[in-house]
Amino acid sequence: MNWRNETVFVTGATGFIGGRVCERLVQAGAPKVRALVHSMHKAARIARMPVELCPGNLMEPETLRQALGDAKIVIHCGLGNAGAIVRGTENMLAVALAAGAKRFVHVSTAAVYGITPPPGSESEDAPIRKTGDAYCDNKAAAERVVLRYGRRGLPVTILRPSIVWGPYSAWSTRLVDDLRGGRVSFIDGGRGACNTTYVDNLIDAMLLSLENDRALNETFFITDGDKVTWGDFIRAHVAMMAAPPQVGDASPEEIMAARPKAVGMIMGSVKAAGRVIRSKEFRELLMRIPVTEALVKWAWNWVTSLPPEKRDRLRARFGVRRTAAVAAKNGKYIPDPVTVATQSTTVFFGIEKAKRVLGYEPRVRFGEGIQRVEQWLRYAAYLD
Amino acid sequence: MKGPVRLAILGCGAITRSEHIPSAMAHPQVQLDALVDADLSRANGLIQNRGLTCKAVADYHDLLGRVDAVINALPNHLHTVINQDFLSAGVNVLCEKPLTITAMDARACTELAEKKKLVLAVGMNRRFAASHPLLKLVMQEGLLGTVRDYDFQYGGAFDWRSASGFYFDRAKAGGGALVDFGVHMLDSVIDWFGPVTAFDYQDDDWGSGIEANAILDVKHDGHWGEIKGRLRLSRTFSLKNRLLIRGSQANAEISVQDPEVVVLHRAIAGKAVSQTLRLDDYPAGSSYLRQLDNFVQSVATGSKPEVDGWQAVRVLELIENCYAHKRRIPEPWAETAGTKVARSEARA
Repeated sequence: MNWRNETVFVTGATGFIGGRVCERLVQAGAPKVRALVHSMHKAARIARMPVELCPGNLMEPETLRQALGDAKIVIHCGLGNAGAIVRGTENMLAVALAAGAKRFVHVSTAAVYGITPPPGSESEDAPIRKTGDAYCDNKAAAERVVLRYGRRGLPVTILRPSIVWGPYSAWSTRLVDDLRGGRVSFIDGGRGACNTTYVDNLIDAMLLSLENDRALNETFFITDGDKVTWGDFIRAHVAMMAAPPQVGDASPEEIMAARPKAVGMIMGSVKAAGRVIRSKEFRELLMRIPVTEALVKWAWNWVTSLPPEKRDRLRARFGVRRTAAVAAKNGKYIPDPVTVATQSTTVFFGIEKAKRVLGYEPRVRFGEGIQRVEQWLRYAAYLD
Repeated sequence: MKGPVRLAILGCGAITRSEHIPSAMAHPQVQLDALVDADLSRANGLIQNRGLTCKAVADYHDLLGRVDAVINALPNHLHTVINQDFLSAGVNVLCEKPLTITAMDARACTELAEKKKLVLAVGMNRRFAASHPLLKLVMQEGLLGTVRDYDFQYGGAFDWRSASGFYFDRAKAGGGALVDFGVHMLDSVIDWFGPVTAFDYQDDDWGSGIEANAILDVKHDGHWGEIKGRLRLSRTFSLKNRLLIRGSQANAEISVQDPEVVVLHRAIAGKAVSQTLRLDDYPAGSSYLRQLDNFVQSVATGSKPEVDGWQAVRVLELIENCYAHKRRIPEPWAETAGTKVARSEARA
């Protein structure tokens, strides 16, 4: 199928991956790109392109029908909260099927095997087990829904990238901030498999999927194919900085020793509670209480109605800053459990199937990707 | 004019809620008569919510000639016609920035106001932050020595939730970051350093006409001689959000986060020293209240407002010139994958 003659519909278009999908489609001369936009104020990046901004919400099928319009190709990068991952994907699939979509590319994740994928999950046919992590398990459930719609006649393809990085990616912006703030350690010498997936390589795989009938109802790992470790990834960012920080090593023993202490557990619990309170899931539950909903909406409307300079002042007053420094204990920073888990896998995902079936070949290798990211970080004022 | 100024506010969006209504309520010489919004429930909701006694009006024509002044806080593309309708009906206008989308329309509005001997003020609230007149004093006193150049950055992830969402529509907004908050920056630097005599403009518009990032290099030739400056604006990245003026004796800095002060940076006996300056006798209240007060005094006495239509014309002419002669900001990281990337370009 030749997607170059078709209107392409992109969900998650205001996000990192979806935004770059829109850019690539415009660069490739796609005749019409329609972008699903949940929060219009977040669309500044894609609003500079000839892309139709289509208001809608993955949780509201009627808005999806309108937003999809005449598009017959869907690239589903939309995420939403844990509940929306499955429900929102199903809504999009149902609307696409009803509209007679010719292709539906679903951006899943290698994290369907968990935050620390176990040995044996190197290839796509490895069995998926429940991990207990809401994101991982919901993405796995969403894949099952996609395949179900595939069996009902919707031409679907599932792509499983891993650490998707590139310009605009939080993997780099957060890492630079954390390096500056002394909040980075090499976990076990930085030996963990990073499984980088440069965003353009992922998009190459999306476009190949659209063109290749052998991609239908198939699932593919997509990575850069380089055996990049977390140590490589972190060191490449350290090298970009004008004053390169010293990054210490946190061994498994030190990480274990730092966790079970009573104070550590209390602090960990407080931090975990904070994460729960800040989570979308908790906010959704909270919003079911009518009084809370009214109060939150009032406060939110008040804050968001302030002119930008006033909001900047509020952010500064309440310490919401990009580079708030956190002192490392004894010169060594012990990362949070999710970071430790993410950087502890030994599994490098195989891309042989993508190469064989799609003709996928990662065009941006690690070195070039780092160069592009560095250029962008300087432009975007993350680096001096 | 005797008695209070009978005022209507047009548009019940974000800026009206957060600034114009509180300012009108706080001003002793203002009588808020009406809130106007095509969505009457929005106007009524605000009246109820703020305990106002004014009326809600859906069609602004109902107010022509029935108020002394209006604040036009409608989306950009509605400014010209509605400003002209009120001016033609003998009503003074304080119009939110930008005055209009084109310089030609701004000129027409300004000439109409002059012909009618009415006040047409433009909403440039940053002029009423204490740092604005304070910087003029700093330069007049020679505290900076010879002013050489400046760097003015303003940017952050765009999150202005306007009620109408017009800002990503070229026909309604007139452009992107430059016409949005760039008008504030240009208005300020032209007032401080004089007219812009040369410029070089780049932005990241990929074909929609709504740039998210802009870089404008300018040269002023005014009272202080030739001064070069760079303005950088972003709707996608946090920038330094400050103006830094470099002089032969000292540098001056105005932070977006605290626009009431000017910080001087200089060396004393080889040591770097910072000194925060503030105006002790500057009027209290927000910059919007001070702006409204300036407008009300102009209406009452017939004096020229701090920012009149002609200043808006100058800024809009420059913006039009920028858009007409723009270059694309190089984005080598966004080139098609697999191509060689030029390392030096992104450091510009």
